[in-house]
Amino acid sequence: MKIETRQFGTMVIEPEKIYTMPGGMPGFPGMKRFVILKREEIWPFYCLQCIDDSELCFYIMDPILFKADYAINLSQTAKEAGWEGDLEAIKLYVIVNTSAGVPEKITANLLGPLLIHIKRFEAVQLVLHDSNYSHQHPIFETR
Amino acid sequence: MLVLTRKVGEKLLIGDDIIVQVIEVNRGNIRLGIEAPGHVSIMRFEVYERIREENVKAASPKAAMDIQRVADLWKKNKGENH
Repeated sequence: MKIETRQFGTMVIEPEKIYTMPGGMPGFPGMKRFVILKREEIWPFYCLQCIDDSELCFYIMDPILFKADYAINLSQTAKEAGWEGDLEAIKLYVIVNTSAGVPEKITANLLGPLLIHIKRFEAVQLVLHDSNYSHQHPIFETR
Repeated sequence: MLVLTRKVGEKLLIGDDIIVQVIEVNRGNIRLGIEAPGHVSIMRFEVYERIREENVKAASPKAAMDIQRVADLWKKNKGENH
């Protein structure tokens, strides 16, 4: 299946690898289908490209790369998402924000992590309303 | 918007299965108890707003240009490749 992407033009993807987000993402109602594009040139980031709107994409990364002690209550969350059991199939990502315009100032949203279930092909963005994590956590250590 | 008055201890029923009770009122602070099914998400509105605003910023079209520079910087700093 061919899709339009914001950064990489037209791409061919496997339809069964489309993730659905039943709850959508805050700020983007109705945007429910995404693919995760992995490209060496933007690693350690991945592109979360929306299928419903080719101009919408987010960049995500594995938080362990910059904050090894980042933790969320996975079993509680899995229960809320209707993902009973099989916690191994859940991957945790955070969305990064480069809107400061300076690469060193990139931040990650630790307050609204993205959970994806690699077997169900479903994803949810959590809102950690009782957490002390920052929604603008710097990825590069400040010197 | 529906506006109504409740006393401490009184409840509201929303839909079939969501109950909101006024537990305590103290100098402008109102403590609420909420009973709802597990699949219903309940959160402080300000936190949801913060996430929403952050999502909108993160999705800015300018990000595509910058992400390449950040990725290059990361690889240079960490001295690693995938």
